[in-house]
Amino acid sequence: MRIGIVCPYSFDVPGGVQNHVMDLAEALIALGHEVSVLAPADEDSPLPSYVVPAGRAVPLPYNGSVARIAFGPVSTARVRRWITRGDFDVLHVHEPLTLSLSLLAVLSARGPVVATFHTAMTRSRALAAAQGVLQIVLERITARIAVSALARKVQVEHMDGGAVEIPNGVAVAKFAHAEPLPGWPGECGPGTGGTLGFLGRFTEPRKGFPVLRDAFLDLAPSRPGLRLLVAGPGDPDDLFDQFPAQLRDRVTFLGLVSEEDKARMLRSVHLYVAPNTGGESFGMILTEALAAGTTVVASDLDAFRRVLDGGRAGRLFPTGDPVALRDALVELLDDAAARATLTECGDQVVANYDWPVVARRVLEVYAAAIEATDGRVIDEEWVGPG
Amino acid sequence: MPGMWWAVGAIVLVGLVSTYLVWTAGRVERLHARAQLAARALDAHLLRRAAAAAVLAERRYGVELYAAARIALDAHPDEREAAENDLTRQLRAVQLDPVDPDCEAVVAASRRLALARQVHTDLVRDARAARGRTLVRLLRMGRGREWPRYFDIDDPTLTVQADVPTG
Repeated sequence: MRIGIVCPYSFDVPGGVQNHVMDLAEALIALGHEVSVLAPADEDSPLPSYVVPAGRAVPLPYNGSVARIAFGPVSTARVRRWITRGDFDVLHVHEPLTLSLSLLAVLSARGPVVATFHTAMTRSRALAAAQGVLQIVLERITARIAVSALARKVQVEHMDGGAVEIPNGVAVAKFAHAEPLPGWPGECGPGTGGTLGFLGRFTEPRKGFPVLRDAFLDLAPSRPGLRLLVAGPGDPDDLFDQFPAQLRDRVTFLGLVSEEDKARMLRSVHLYVAPNTGGESFGMILTEALAAGTTVVASDLDAFRRVLDGGRAGRLFPTGDPVALRDALVELLDDAAARATLTECGDQVVANYDWPVVARRVLEVYAAAIEATDGRVIDEEWVGPG
Repeated sequence: MPGMWWAVGAIVLVGLVSTYLVWTAGRVERLHARAQLAARALDAHLLRRAAAAAVLAERRYGVELYAAARIALDAHPDEREAAENDLTRQLRAVQLDPVDPDCEAVVAASRRLALARQVHTDLVRDARAARGRTLVRLLRMGRGREWPRYFDIDDPTLTVQADVPTG
């Protein structure tokens, strides 16, 4: 099948949507489909062979961060040309309600259009002005996918439509076989040692870093060798200022890491801690930690509970409670067998999020969109074994 | 000459209004056609699931499931939603074996049916929303077509043990 995928954000900047699009495209290609990805990018920037650059993206402050997007008459012409030349069986756009290539593609396309909604934002501010305009865009979409229960809820409540919930995939093999950083994770035995990991913006309150810091400060003096590995964007001084001088050498800061280093980082810790206090719509990082075979300790948020199968695949602690977190950490660091039980169950859970599995579910949605466009039902073999 | 400007203004206005009307009529027509095609795909998936269930019932689960599948296949349009729901209930009542290919066929057919139902519901909603607008009703656009109907059935997705957790 010929599949055209539109990514609204530039590949020059790493981001959740961009990674999702690339992983999906690669999984579909591996299943034997022809995929072309249209994304904003300079002609001369290095891109995978399946990506078609649609010209330079301009930075635009959006939704609390800076999005690099392409929009305007030149982009419109390029989108049209790409659609005409591509002769796609199905068009798959991501985040179609942002002012972007995705929106242009939806408005230019005829035939089966599948749209994936990533964020749980209610709607684009630019489109909020006119419900009628929003309706015209939504009418062009045949089938909708939401990557999380929260994103789906927004669809149902604010956009008057259903959506199929298909979670973000995770490239399990990439994480499972990553090489730990040299010298990590180190020793871990009863009452001594152990490495904790945290990944994310430690200055952002809802990521909950202070909860982990308090648990660490409480535990570190009585537990020699306990170390904390932190990765994510931010100023090192802001991080180290939160720790007393005598504990600073037990905290390691990696800064912003690449996808590859993220996998290595997750393999370098005994426990991955997700102390988020809210706002997490899916918990991608948890599936990645599970894929890396690392034991997860996470706040008892809806999304996390669902990913961790109610606590069978990872330990949940009451959200925002450093004492409960400390107790959970002590228990798991002391008990290698308990960690092994959790990761074993984690392996089973994460198999459902592996990209080939997720890509087959996406293919079924493609089939449903194509069927709804010409009324002809597509054969089971075409979608591949589920 | 103010008279001429009035005339030009009127012609432009008539042009704009008629363009809008033609566009709206086209939109209503397109949405209806889409809902109809989605209904056809949904119908095909309903038949496919019932057929898969009948095959399975003949081999393994016996009379009740087979009867439900036959009733779903032969149901009159008015009774079809109830018959399909009944089939869903019967399928949920039996212990499906994930390694049996016939069971797997039923599970896959149910999954595809759930997608077809979802898409159909969305497209019917779009078509009905367009049809219900005041201007469209006043000008009786789309009068050559029936109002698209929802097909209101329970979610037919079947869960086999160790199912994919969503989230």
